[in-house]
Amino acid sequence: MYRKRVSPWVPIILLSGMYAVLIINLFIMQVLNGEKYLTISENNYVRIVNINPMRGNIYDRKYRPIAINRSSDNLYFRLSELKDKGNLANFISASFDIDSLAVREIIRKNRFRRYYDIPLKKGLDRSTLVKIAEHLNEYPSLRLISEYTRSYEYPNHFTGHVGPVSEQEFEALKEEGYTLNSNIGKNGLEKQYEQMLRGKNGYRLVQVDATGKDLEFLKHNLYKPARKGVDLILTLDNDLQTYIRSIFPENKNGAVIVMDVRTGGILAYVSMPEFDPNIFSGEISQGLWNEMLNDPAKPMLDRVANGTYPPGSIFKPITAALGLESGVINVKTKLAFCDGGFQIGNRYFKCWQETGHGRLALSDALKLSCDTYFYDLSLRLDLDAMKAFTKANYLTLKTGIDLPVERAGFFPDEAWYRDNYGKYTGIIGPKANLSIGQGELLITALEFCCFYSALANDGLWLQPHFLEGYIDKERVKVSDYEARSLSISPETVTFLQNALDRTVNEQHGTGSGARITGTTVCGKTGSAENHMGELTHAWFAGYAQWEEPEIAFVVFVENAGHGGTIAAPLAGKIVDFYQKLRSGDPEQYLKLLPVMGESNE
Amino acid sequence: MNNYRKRNEYDRVLLFLLLVLMVFGVLMIYSASTTKIGESIEHNNFYIRQIIFVIISLISLFILLKLPYMLIEIMIIPLFVLILLTLVVVLFLPAIKGSHRWISLGILGFQPSELAKLLTIMLVAKLLDEQHLSHIQMLLRTAAAAVLPVLLIFIEPDLGTAMTLVMSILVVLAFSDLPFYYLVILVSPLLSIVFSVNAYVFSLWILLLGLYFFRQKVHLLIAGLVGILNASLYFLTPFVWNSLKSYQQNRILTFINPLHDPFGSGYQIIQAKIAIGSGGWFGKGFLLGSQKNLQFLPEHHTDFIFSVIGEELGFFGCLIFISIYILFLYRIVLNVGKLKRRFMFYTSVGIIANLSIMMFVNIGMNMGLVPATGIPLPFIAYGGTSLLFNTLALGVILKFASERSVFE
Repeated sequence: MYRKRVSPWVPIILLSGMYAVLIINLFIMQVLNGEKYLTISENNYVRIVNINPMRGNIYDRKYRPIAINRSSDNLYFRLSELKDKGNLANFISASFDIDSLAVREIIRKNRFRRYYDIPLKKGLDRSTLVKIAEHLNEYPSLRLISEYTRSYEYPNHFTGHVGPVSEQEFEALKEEGYTLNSNIGKNGLEKQYEQMLRGKNGYRLVQVDATGKDLEFLKHNLYKPARKGVDLILTLDNDLQTYIRSIFPENKNGAVIVMDVRTGGILAYVSMPEFDPNIFSGEISQGLWNEMLNDPAKPMLDRVANGTYPPGSIFKPITAALGLESGVINVKTKLAFCDGGFQIGNRYFKCWQETGHGRLALSDALKLSCDTYFYDLSLRLDLDAMKAFTKANYLTLKTGIDLPVERAGFFPDEAWYRDNYGKYTGIIGPKANLSIGQGELLITALEFCCFYSALANDGLWLQPHFLEGYIDKERVKVSDYEARSLSISPETVTFLQNALDRTVNEQHGTGSGARITGTTVCGKTGSAENHMGELTHAWFAGYAQWEEPEIAFVVFVENAGHGGTIAAPLAGKIVDFYQKLRSGDPEQYLKLLPVMGESNE
Repeated sequence: MNNYRKRNEYDRVLLFLLLVLMVFGVLMIYSASTTKIGESIEHNNFYIRQIIFVIISLISLFILLKLPYMLIEIMIIPLFVLILLTLVVVLFLPAIKGSHRWISLGILGFQPSELAKLLTIMLVAKLLDEQHLSHIQMLLRTAAAAVLPVLLIFIEPDLGTAMTLVMSILVVLAFSDLPFYYLVILVSPLLSIVFSVNAYVFSLWILLLGLYFFRQKVHLLIAGLVGILNASLYFLTPFVWNSLKSYQQNRILTFINPLHDPFGSGYQIIQAKIAIGSGGWFGKGFLLGSQKNLQFLPEHHTDFIFSVIGEELGFFGCLIFISIYILFLYRIVLNVGKLKRRFMFYTSVGIIANLSIMMFVNIGMNMGLVPATGIPLPFIAYGGTSLLFNTLALGVILKFASERSVFE
């Protein structure tokens, strides 16, 4: 029950030992070395200086720049050296188009960050630079720092842009080494591959005295250099991209996508009207921003992956395949006589050709794009089966392209019609419309490009992507992209390939505008009626083969007319240019490119 | 002789010193949560919350002293089981600042590890009081009782608290009836790992260990087993070290020497040292610490509050503060010295050891003497759970001191 005795000296010795160690050390630090520490703390401040890493570049497949870093002169100020607030505010507002109250607000917001460089104005032009430099002596708090800013070679919708980390992003990301002065990818590939592009922060532990001079106090090696981000290599071809931009009909909106059938790599990605991500490199003015937001042509919309549109006849191969796969027709079945339309119930559905096509089998119906055939076929198909089949072939689904934002198309089902048009609405009419790619059906150009690419590839669907590889000391190829099979049998795929070939290369085929020498272009035209304007959307989707299929493409021009007259010839030109590219002789294709003006200056 | 044994008075001086420390803590947290540059002042509400914590702690202390003594002893095992469950639950809650230490109760957070520490010490003390057990049985039961809470706290991760708990239990063992060489056996593997850096040092250490066992007449079998275990550590340590990933090695190196990572914990220590050193003889004055005001000091209301004390009150201020603290600890020792019953004595030794270790490690860490491991300065640093259970631990000792005659 009772313990052994412990000498009362034991706790006294232990406690005095602790006491002595603490007090002696305090004496050494505060009294003997107090002066030294006081000097550091009063005149000099030890702090971590963050070194922002250089962002990785983005190159095309031939190692030509798409997004790189250019040096720019930026103006910062530091509160600790600020003498006269009003004076500085006046000077800044006189030199730039900034309100002096706004400058005061910046100062107030950063009043507790006295020893940090706070950005005032980025990307100074030469004359302002000279003017500021002349007055630098009068305003010791100002400092000019030469830094790198992101610059994009041409307007596009896939690179996205970078911008300073916002307050909210900073709260979430400060653990990962972001500071309020670092940049971060805001959208597009810049956002998608932020982790790779960004690199690693460097640090320097410096002691800075009142003049901002580094003093050597700590003997340890307190420098860790920043590591540059990884350079990305895209599957994109700058020449093809530039060529397509130059031949796209003026003042028209639309999209063109070209994809490598064998890999899923994207060769060209054009959305019109163009959008220049460089406007975000300086400070974007409120006026320009509003103008962009309110422009009816929506220049910021990426029409390849984020615009959904009625596809029109380029959808017909899906309806045809479902007819064959479900066994309601075979390749020889001839359906209703086309006299320029087809009666369903009390409504007459028109064929695009008012004179009619007569009685056709499936291959001819595709070649001539006869609507009547598909109206009749739709009567034998189930709506929900159509939806399921569409999705089973990866249409109206996100493709998983390596962009942060992608929209999926839309295929209505029975329940949707009942919810939106009432309980007793008929679905036979809507079904007929859907079978020819009209009605409520919406898709993206990207989804269709993947589908036609898979048709060319004997039914193998490949995940579309921009990233071919990256350079991390050496060139690394990225290959973990998905490959899936279409839900279409090989016989049906072969049948469709043949029909698409006939569409372009036989007499009277609707796609004959895409025909060129030296290669076989296969494809399908589409002219989709829509609520956006009088004229139909012009579509052409297909692929081109030499020894084997190499590229798939979708050409889409909003409210421009018929696919056969507007989109098909464009597709033909693009394939022809690609043919010159693949021959490998620059002489052949470079002269086709427009001369680039001062837009890059 | 009067057969009637009455309760002793509570130690008023000790209660007064406790109050002094608490009030001082609130003042320093007020300073730490104030940022003053020129005319502009910014306050955080940490000090208001700390005042509330102090009031809650004092009320809890009062309630504890009113409880019947036996209730405290009976409640140890059920509470211990409950707190183990809580320690498991807390691991599955979302992490706060990268660790699973807190159970969030609205605006307040509760750290179960603080209560676990107190209960583990009491349970160990109870086990060491079981007279019918052999020494080996006692040791094994102690180890069994301690391993779960220590492990659970360790994987939160809260390395600092886990280590103080282990050290406190070792101190209890040193003051217990167990032979001292048991302790040597327990600690020897750790020393072997440290000494395995050099073959000569390691040989010398094993030699001394053998001599000690010989002097103490340790059973030959036990001595042999311990010897083999320690010798094998000499070969195992480099092997384990080399199989660690480089970031794991860096983490250990940084723990031993913070300057190994000058941008992480090393940075905090450099700043704390500059703050304390720049205090000089008399300090920069209350609320006027420049390092603190410029927010160079991280966590200056919790783990690094001592650097604010050092910077603002200087050597004299620190001297008075540390003297009061040591007096306070000594005053507890005086209360404990009168205890005769094993359970009471061991519990109290554990609690004193825990408080002293935390105080020493925290201040040492601020001065760069000890590796940085988030350990708060008891009764001073901001934090409700730590304040509450440290106060209750003190209450347990006061209760023992007042009830001791009843049991003698």
